[in-house]
Amino acid sequence: MWSYLLRRAPSALLVLLISSVVIFFVLRLAPGDPAVLVAGPDASAETIEAVRRQLGLDRGIVSQYLTWISGLLTGDLGRSYVLGAPIAQLIATGAAGTLTLTAAACVIAALGGGLAGVILATTGNRWLRSVVDALTSLAFAVPTYVSGVLLVLVFAVTLRILPASGQYPGGFWSAPDLALQYLLMPAVCLALPAAAVVARFLAAAMRSTLDEDFIQTGVAKGLSKRRNTMRHVLPNSLPPVVTVFGIQVGQMLGGAIVVEAIFAWPGVGQLLLQGVLNRDYLLVQDLLLLAVTVFVVIQLLTDIVHALIDPRIRETL
Amino acid sequence: MATPLTTAPFSRRALLAGAGIGTAYLLAGCRSAVDTQGQASSGTATAKRGGTLRIVQGADIAPTSVLAQNNVNLSFLRLVYNTLIELDHKTLEPKPSLAESWTLSPDNKNLEFRLRDGVTFHSGRAFTSADVAFTLDYIRREEVASQLKHVAKQITDVQVKDERTIAITFGKSMSNVWDLFELLLILDKDTAAKIPSGTFVGTGPFAVASYAPGSKLTLKRHEKYWKDSRPLLDGVEIAIVRQSQSMLSSLRGGQAHLAVDLAPLDAASIKGDSRFEVVRADPQDSAFYVGTNAAAAPFTDKRARQGVAWAINRERILTQVLGEIGQTSSLPWSPTSPAYDKALAGTYSYDVAKAKALFEQAGIAGAPVQVNYNAGLSTNAAIAEIVTFDLKAAGLAATTTPLQGPDFQAKLTGGGLTGLFVNNHGFGQLAPATLVKGSFPFNADKNAASFDNADYKALAEKLWTTTDEAGQKAAQDEMNTFLLDQQFIVDLVVSSHTFTISNQVKGIAYSMYDYLNLDDAGLA
Repeated sequence: MWSYLLRRAPSALLVLLISSVVIFFVLRLAPGDPAVLVAGPDASAETIEAVRRQLGLDRGIVSQYLTWISGLLTGDLGRSYVLGAPIAQLIATGAAGTLTLTAAACVIAALGGGLAGVILATTGNRWLRSVVDALTSLAFAVPTYVSGVLLVLVFAVTLRILPASGQYPGGFWSAPDLALQYLLMPAVCLALPAAAVVARFLAAAMRSTLDEDFIQTGVAKGLSKRRNTMRHVLPNSLPPVVTVFGIQVGQMLGGAIVVEAIFAWPGVGQLLLQGVLNRDYLLVQDLLLLAVTVFVVIQLLTDIVHALIDPRIRETL
Repeated sequence: MATPLTTAPFSRRALLAGAGIGTAYLLAGCRSAVDTQGQASSGTATAKRGGTLRIVQGADIAPTSVLAQNNVNLSFLRLVYNTLIELDHKTLEPKPSLAESWTLSPDNKNLEFRLRDGVTFHSGRAFTSADVAFTLDYIRREEVASQLKHVAKQITDVQVKDERTIAITFGKSMSNVWDLFELLLILDKDTAAKIPSGTFVGTGPFAVASYAPGSKLTLKRHEKYWKDSRPLLDGVEIAIVRQSQSMLSSLRGGQAHLAVDLAPLDAASIKGDSRFEVVRADPQDSAFYVGTNAAAAPFTDKRARQGVAWAINRERILTQVLGEIGQTSSLPWSPTSPAYDKALAGTYSYDVAKAKALFEQAGIAGAPVQVNYNAGLSTNAAIAEIVTFDLKAAGLAATTTPLQGPDFQAKLTGGGLTGLFVNNHGFGQLAPATLVKGSFPFNADKNAASFDNADYKALAEKLWTTTDEAGQKAAQDEMNTFLLDQQFIVDLVVSSHTFTISNQVKGIAYSMYDYLNLDDAGLA
């Protein structure tokens, strides 16, 4: 295992190095000047130049790159040009927001999608099946920026039973019942398309499993239909759905950027968007390189897990 | 083929029981987040002590530009900081704030402030004249941006006479000295270095309790505020809600009490709702304009620029884009400005024939023209569409060119915008010199239109340095004539910053720079 990791380490580091170069230089191809934005409206050319010096943007581009990389190697992610705060602190706060939102959406997608899938596959009530079928189609087809606005209009503006946006001011654990109400709408909005996918895949997988002989054997042996479904059909239908759900989790993490914008939910997506719009180079560089690092680490971990599970792969490592 | 099972895994009874338990929990066991928000706002119709005012605004505050007027900072600066004086909105005369009294020499070159006693910063330290001296030094630093820096740079001497007296000497007579002190927030000399990283310590009615960049600023009452029994509010929360529609939903849903600068049409949509009020800040210092690149064809000829001024339907912009918030004008000044002239404000109206004739005379009929705008600003985008339509009707081959915010700003600052650009400016509400010396679109030394003209520079200098009333009036008239003739900036509508409030909010005020003032504000 260690020898495998040692063998993979150079290629992983190379990926990170190339990514850092690409991120750093491509970002600077975008038109705009962070010094102009930091200096503020109506700033004179002298002030803009002084701000540029202060931010270190007057130095050569290679020097700026080396300063950034050496900072990262020593654990210093730098400070946001515009917000002034340490980037590590900004990312930690944003990541907590995004992960909370995505985790809640995962729970809703799994439960909602699972229930809908089971109903679609097993109910004999045509009316119920048609309604659930239509709802999953709708959840799949309606983009989050539409469903988000609709949710706000119905539950925050018309019924006034849920807050329209933001997070609970006191933090989650100070009043979980209130914090959950802030979380509910954005999480549902984010979960809807994933829940629809889960429902469709689960229904298809269950229908296929229902055709298996061992299920009919269970029926012949006198197992109740509910017990047969819960004990045999559902568990045997889950593996392909779990794979699909894993992909959906990744899509929800990416899709959180839209939901965060609609519900003013402070997360990494909002942070990245703000960084790009402000040409906050350091912030964007750190966030993108962090994303690449996460993917590289996940890939390594996946290889290791495969090796642990399958001896044939372990031998090839 | 086997027959599939068709029985639901849960009985209807079990499903209903589960749903019933969940609903009962939500209805009975849980507090409502919406009701909790409303707790401070129930009761009588007059402001009372206590409660937290919740504000939403579309962009995060900008810690790097606290001494410049920056729209994103309108909500919080006057809550945390004070200025030495505050200008009366009608007379533009200074009124006491941190300064109790002052003397200004007839030539406006020597100014002495007597400071208020018993003022403390949020840190607990006493405010003294050393803090004023520090702030005057701070604003003159190269990296610190301010539209009034040209005034501050004329300071030749600052004398701290004692803890409560400070004398300031200027190198020249200037007509806009008070504009500097209306803008100059007094900083705490011990913590000012930390301002760019989000540490704000002032003498204002509220101290910063927490700041989560990009998300929320939370303020709490400054218990030792120098105004007796003020502020009424326990605290203020300023949340960043990036979309105007979402801000509107927050207001309508009762989650927010005040929205800063809703998109004009969103503000207009709420005007008929008795639960809300759209407060238009009376300085009216948000003017929308079309800028020209006067240094490059086809707008080097002033007839071409005048043609643009005649071609645009200002009334349509006011009605369809700005929801009637503002008034059409060919002048950059707000009606509060001494240079405002109602008759001259209507100089250019919608006249396609005149526009066509002028374009013909300038030889640019049919010429391709870009109308640039910041694509991140929906109001400017809508104005750009109307401008383009009108220019096409007047015979130019106009096309809209949306640019990303940073790209637009960089090109605006560097003179890199070709053709025309749609934007807005402030600083038409106070001394006219502040506009032509401090606001980038009009700055005589270097401006957004790349309009480099010796006569303009001389006029701007005259407007700035003439302090006697008759001379100032004459300079203003000359400037108006010049601006209307040259039209390097084509003003369209003089509008206002808006504070849309729920009817629970009482007693809000604002400075002449539209800084929100909540000294006397409370929740009903």
